[in-house]
Amino acid sequence: MVRRIAAVLVLSAAIAACGGRSEDRPPANASVPVRGGSLVASLRSEPATFNRLVNGGNSSATDAITELTQATLVRVNRVTGTIEPALAERWSVSPDGRTFTLSLRKGVTFSDGVPLSADDVLFSFAVVYDPKVASVLAASLEVRNKPLRVTAPDSETVVITLPAPFAPGLALLDNLPILPKHQLEAAYAAGKFQDAWNVSTPPGSMAGLGPFVLTGYEPGQRLTFTRNPHYWRRDASGIQLPYLDSISMEIVASQDAELLRMQAGSIDLMTQADLRPQDYASLKRLAQGDGAVHLTELGPAVDANMLWFNLTRAAASRPGKSFVQRAEFRQAISYAVDRDAIVSSVYLGAATPIDGPVTPGNRTWYSDRAPKYPYDVARATALLAAIGLVDRNGDGMLEDASGARVRFTILTQANHIRGRVVTVLQEQLRQVGIAVDIAALDPRSMFQRFAAGDYDAMYYGFQASSLDPANNLDFWLSSGSAHVWNAGQTQPATPWERQIDDLMQQQMAAASLTERQRLFADVQRVFGENLPAICFVAPNVAIATSARVGGAQPALLDPKVLWASDQLFLIR
Amino acid sequence: MSTARRSGLALALLALVVTVAPLAAPHDPARQFSRFPYAPPMRPHLFDDEWHAHAPFAYALRVIDPLERRYEEDRSRRLAIRDDQPVFLLGSDGFGRDVLSRTLAGARLSLGVAFAATGIALSLAALLGALAGYAGGRLDAAITRFAEFVLVLPAIYVALALRGSLPLVLSSGQVFATLAVVFGAIGWPATARGVRGIIHVERRQEYAEAAYAIGASPWRVIVRHLLPSTFGFLAVQAIVLVPAFVLAEATLSLVGFGFAPPVASWGTMIEEVGTGAAAADAPWLLAPVVGMMLTIVVLQVGSMSKSRLRDRK
Amino acid sequence: MPALSSSFIARRILAAAALVFVVSSAALALADLAPGDYVTATIGGDPAVAAAERQRLHLDRPFAERYRHWIGRALTMDLGESFQYRRPVLGLVRERAGNTAMLALAALILATLLGIPAGIVSGSGGGIAARVIRITSLVLLAMPPLVTSFVLLTIAARTRWLPIAGMGGITHLVVPALSLALPLAAMLERLQSEAISDALERTHILAAAARGIPRRRLVWHHAWRVSLGPLLGVYGVVIGSLFSGSFVVEVIASWPGLASLMRDALMTRDAPLVAGCSAAGAVFLAAGVLVADLAHAALDPRVGAPGA
Repeated sequence: MVRRIAAVLVLSAAIAACGGRSEDRPPANASVPVRGGSLVASLRSEPATFNRLVNGGNSSATDAITELTQATLVRVNRVTGTIEPALAERWSVSPDGRTFTLSLRKGVTFSDGVPLSADDVLFSFAVVYDPKVASVLAASLEVRNKPLRVTAPDSETVVITLPAPFAPGLALLDNLPILPKHQLEAAYAAGKFQDAWNVSTPPGSMAGLGPFVLTGYEPGQRLTFTRNPHYWRRDASGIQLPYLDSISMEIVASQDAELLRMQAGSIDLMTQADLRPQDYASLKRLAQGDGAVHLTELGPAVDANMLWFNLTRAAASRPGKSFVQRAEFRQAISYAVDRDAIVSSVYLGAATPIDGPVTPGNRTWYSDRAPKYPYDVARATALLAAIGLVDRNGDGMLEDASGARVRFTILTQANHIRGRVVTVLQEQLRQVGIAVDIAALDPRSMFQRFAAGDYDAMYYGFQASSLDPANNLDFWLSSGSAHVWNAGQTQPATPWERQIDDLMQQQMAAASLTERQRLFADVQRVFGENLPAICFVAPNVAIATSARVGGAQPALLDPKVLWASDQLFLIR
Repeated sequence: MSTARRSGLALALLALVVTVAPLAAPHDPARQFSRFPYAPPMRPHLFDDEWHAHAPFAYALRVIDPLERRYEEDRSRRLAIRDDQPVFLLGSDGFGRDVLSRTLAGARLSLGVAFAATGIALSLAALLGALAGYAGGRLDAAITRFAEFVLVLPAIYVALALRGSLPLVLSSGQVFATLAVVFGAIGWPATARGVRGIIHVERRQEYAEAAYAIGASPWRVIVRHLLPSTFGFLAVQAIVLVPAFVLAEATLSLVGFGFAPPVASWGTMIEEVGTGAAAADAPWLLAPVVGMMLTIVVLQVGSMSKSRLRDRK
Repeated sequence: MPALSSSFIARRILAAAALVFVVSSAALALADLAPGDYVTATIGGDPAVAAAERQRLHLDRPFAERYRHWIGRALTMDLGESFQYRRPVLGLVRERAGNTAMLALAALILATLLGIPAGIVSGSGGGIAARVIRITSLVLLAMPPLVTSFVLLTIAARTRWLPIAGMGGITHLVVPALSLALPLAAMLERLQSEAISDALERTHILAAAARGIPRRRLVWHHAWRVSLGPLLGVYGVVIGSLFSGSFVVEVIASWPGLASLMRDALMTRDAPLVAGCSAAGAVFLAAGVLVADLAHAALDPRVGAPGA
């Protein structure tokens, strides 16, 4: 759940993450792809670097650029969830499932014409694991905090050994772009890898294995990508990809301006593609009118915002807030919130009520057996009364045994849809007599208050970068850095956290998908019973593309459309 | 009616409206009718379709498509204009809250902050500007340089650092006081420069020289003779500053300095319009802007009394 | 004009340099005081990556030490490197300042051409024209800049007369420049109108009227001149603030200017960039104020340039 890796890691057997999408017109990719032409995308933020490995490389801008210009050994298809051959054409697996022998595709060259060899693969792994580089990708390429062992018996073969059994297996490799050793070796040797491929590097000079080459960058304005003439992938009929001659990305910071440009036809697709609910209406009119815009609905998002409570030891001793530590209190809150109210107001109906952090959008891993929290004020009131929180003075608000009003603070992000959800929560909890104060801050102030433990509850969310729970251990394990309600524990603080730890360890190493699903369903059940974090809704994802965009394969994970940029084509 | 009378009346009326209006609000401004986000304004009726008279009522709304914000009037259901009914005379916002009630409730807070801050800013400006313009020399230079420093130091930086040192939760009263003081403290320099320019010229006019000659103290000359000549300018500045301060509250909410939900203020209401291109689909959300226009029209009318003040010199 | 001596200019430039230094130092301190730091970009990141990054950027050192280091470099006109863009701050700021200056100049000219004549008309007489101008100004002053920009942008988008965003030819300038200029024109109109009507009541102009000088000549010649004082006083500040950019307009029109860079730098706690942007703002303000003061002294010899 935590944005660390930009890949979907789903077992090859997994079912499509987004099977049930509905479209209001026959899909545009029904027409025949033609080579040539260009499309315009929008990008909401400026890249801080073109180097995916360094800090700042995990921004959505750099991620999208890397998606267009680089390639990986294998690729996880964002729509079907299957592992597809990429730079590695085929592979074999050892009987214990831990050693993979990959054969590199023959005749692949970087965009500057230099042939790809196993040395480039070794180099890329060496850099990403180097503690001096402190790569943001390192953790996503480790199993139980240990790196993969990578060797190359010859220039066309790479052998990869996992340090421990790890169910997602080869899908890990989708995280690492294979870098051109001939270009970056010097900088790496000089200890300057951090500064290599920064935003002042002349565009066009950076070689890659992706479908496009970055050929222009006007800061604050646009990025231009041109076809990589040496790109290795061909379509079913043997045409060399990509279909498009070029893609340009216009930097548009304001989502309002982005929408206007979409309406005016000056952009074809959005890199951070999902629409805000309030923008839906105007685009829908366009889609139904002259059909200039094509809307694709993908169903519930896989990343959910959550309200978690400060369950650290330090918080437990704070006066007047001890109720937060009680599971009954958290369950009461979950019952007290009418999720449909959030759906119909904040999301204008375009959201799905949920009860846990794994949303129905994550078809492989969502468990229907996790506890449900239907809107039930009577039950909420009873649960609160059971822990001594009742209205003692008839003012309609609850008081604890000492007569102090039940009041807690929700920390959230200013000027964000999350803040709007919290505004609804506040009103709903007032109905059951709980007073909520909202502190809406800018992101870094918020993170600082979080780090200092200066909050009772917080409403925030993480962008899903992986659907597979084995890749979200930092959230599930009590030792994890994203175990937000009480992060980085040396020993599990509660029995149920210990139970989740054990289940996660088992499920990560389990052999079959059904076994893993069963174990993870247990995790979701234990989580739902203890409710350290409450989820309310998952937005429904809608993606807008102009009528000129053909071959789009929208997926729920970012970059939702550009992940398969080589197959986009222009409808004239 | 004389201009003085007119302006006094206008300002008194404004104060009255601002204090009394929230009492007239049809709804609790925090009340959310979640099923009716962005509902259009509903017309109040006294007679139904058959011309039967009723207590004031509105026809109920039926949601056709929330995502496309389509509503239909249900002529078969009459709703009384009461707190517990989803009747929105000026439409509803994205939470299904009554825009009219929020605009009325927000007037007191937003205009309160803006007027208090304007008062502080103009007093500082008059004082410092007059000192600079009158004294000249080193004092002038020092004040002018200081004004430039305050002008150029981005207020949002100060606000961000200040917010970090304050408790996580601020009450509305604390927000009100902080905003008024912060805005007042950063709002004076531009005005002070103008005041300085006027005083600099005025102090060489015959009347000022004459006042000296008869032995008036410098302080008396400034306050009794020179400052009145800046009143017209100050009035114009007030017209500029009041809406600017109302909007500044919205900007500062970005760093967590605005009024926290569910409190209604014009700044946060306008901020919400801006985040959604919503103005095109739901123009009634701009009600606070209309309120602001009315306010500065009143201010403009009020400022016409300046000639009366100048007559005293 | 003794006020315009070269020593006066030299003193003003010295004062401007001091202003730039003090403001950027203060901004640096404020960026340090602001909660959180550049490295904390999210929750639950890898602590090892964060620690390495803090070390690389010297964020693990005390503020005093970083400040000494910054001063040392600043004295040689090196404002350091932006944390997030990994580029020299000076280059980044210069790039954006150029864009902003272009926009500001266009807006300033537009606002002056619209506001000043309108103010003279509304200040010197009654009638329908004056009334219409006054109401328009009040409406524009009350409109949030976001809404004004959005309305203009929507008009441009619907009619497709003008490009709606980005930079390019002169046509790209129209929407953002107008968004900036309209509220400014309204303010100038109010100020000018007030100053004119004020000046017309002055004794020496009344005397001129008594001598039979036609009203039109009075307005355009005498009153206009007298009214310059307060107007120019504010004008200098306006120039400075315009050249520091307008966040709203830049974001809405995708105009890569100084204000959005400044906001961005602050939100990410990119301290060197925060200091650099503030320095640029100070330069522009000092320049704007100096120009206005010189103009004032040149147009109205009765005043000495202020702060001299």
